[in-house]
Amino acid sequence: MKNCKDIENSLPLYLDNLLSSADKRAVEEHLKSCPKCSKALVQLQKTGNLVDGLGEVEPPPWFKQKIMARVREEADKKSFAQKWFYPLRIKIPIQVFATIFITVLAVYIYRAGNEQFKEVIPSQAPTPVMEAEKDKLSEQTTELSEADKTVVKKKVSAKKGIRDEEMVMYDVSPGSSAPKTQELKKAIPQENIPATAGNTASLVKRERAADKKDASYSALMAKQAEPAKAMPPPSVELERKKEGYVLGASVKQSRAPEAQSVMPKITISVRVGDLNIVVGEVEKLLTKHEAKKVVKQMPEGKAIITAELKIKNLKNFIAQLKTIGQIEEKGMPVDSVEGDILVVIEIINN
Amino acid sequence: MLWMSNIIDNKKLMTADEDIEYVVLCQKGDTEAFGVLVERHQKKMLNIAYRMMGDYDEACDVTQEAFLSAYKSIKKFKAEAKFSTWLYRIVVNYSKNRLKQLRNITQRESFSIDDSGEMKIEGALCQSFAKDANPGAQMEKREREAQVQKCITSLDEEYREVLVLRDIQGLSYEEIKDILKIPEGTVKSRLSRARNALKGCLVRVIGDL
Repeated sequence: MKNCKDIENSLPLYLDNLLSSADKRAVEEHLKSCPKCSKALVQLQKTGNLVDGLGEVEPPPWFKQKIMARVREEADKKSFAQKWFYPLRIKIPIQVFATIFITVLAVYIYRAGNEQFKEVIPSQAPTPVMEAEKDKLSEQTTELSEADKTVVKKKVSAKKGIRDEEMVMYDVSPGSSAPKTQELKKAIPQENIPATAGNTASLVKRERAADKKDASYSALMAKQAEPAKAMPPPSVELERKKEGYVLGASVKQSRAPEAQSVMPKITISVRVGDLNIVVGEVEKLLTKHEAKKVVKQMPEGKAIITAELKIKNLKNFIAQLKTIGQIEEKGMPVDSVEGDILVVIEIINN
Repeated sequence: MLWMSNIIDNKKLMTADEDIEYVVLCQKGDTEAFGVLVERHQKKMLNIAYRMMGDYDEACDVTQEAFLSAYKSIKKFKAEAKFSTWLYRIVVNYSKNRLKQLRNITQRESFSIDDSGEMKIEGALCQSFAKDANPGAQMEKREREAQVQKCITSLDEEYREVLVLRDIQGLSYEEIKDILKIPEGTVKSRLSRARNALKGCLVRVIGDL
């Protein structure tokens, strides 16, 4: 026989009809004889009724909208992550391979660029080049005449003028209008204009010191050809030379990074009958041989054409020049077959 | 009796999960499909939370958080149980966690949870019975409900949750077992104690039932 405590504990299950038939019978037997437990059963039934009678609360207005607003907000965040990372099994390997590919590509490009960089390095390491040139100059000082010295310096200074890769052709004869100062500065042989021309002389004065060495060189060249006509006043030339030597060094220092590799130079004198016809022919010949930076100057009784030629084309060019007139070559022997050479062609009336 | 009829109703519900179609859509990224699930379950979720907490505003917050949490982890839902079971588990857990937080806050502030609870319960009941025509009966019913809710809130959480799920929400023992992840025998014994405890509380509060 169960006591009241056990029966009271069984009453909720009895009401739910969850007791076994034996337990159910035992509860019913007890209830008949126990008013306390019977009362407890009634109270339990009333409690059940009270709980059943509890009303449901309604959600506040816009409850669903509020929830969905937050859900959409979350979905936006999620979609951003999904865009980049999900599904992981596909996107992560793609990202890994892409990263590796970009890294390899970057290394490859860097290495390829490095080779090109090495090609440029000799010209970008100005100090040794300049030093070498200076040494060369000092060695030659004892052997060469003053004119020869300026030739060597010309080689150095001429290179500094080489910036424009396009073919440049200026006619800077005394009568023609001079190009703008800036352009003049870029053009290499413009300073070859004899200092006797007033307007040109003023321009030349404004040129950099290195360019002035060229001017003195051209003056000397002119002196060799026609001493009486082309030679500038000795005092002026002397002054220029001084400036050239002093200022040239500072220019070399300040513009050292710009200095390109030193280009070999050759001077060819051509003696001809008709100056104007031959000048045209020589120009055609230069164009045919892919000459760059062709600059023509026509002082009285002669023409000076300066151009850059590929060394491999030089031999052929000279051979064809020989068919035009009697030629005389001056300049440094060319060792390499690659690269460019500065060619100064003096066409002199016979 | 409702306690009996609930068992039969829930057996029918267990046969098919009508939410699964929308759950699959949500899992495929259709946010709007979740709206259908919110529409279907918001009232029941809110009522579970409300009966667990006895505070309407807190219940609204907890229900929102529970829905958001459900959305975040909807891909983890494996359809091993009904979606509603899974959802109710979330709201019960959120309610219990929130109650714990509130208990800590109340302890710190030396504030009586019973007093505040009563006030808020009455507020919610005002909303619940706003449509009743007879003001006197309305007042009496509201007062009785507040007393019942106060007694429910006074129960231990483990008794409260089974009482709310079984006697108020009418879920089956099977569902309650799944929601609370406890054996069915434990559900029955807890429910038995919960009902007796509620009866004892109501006798103390109301007098002779």
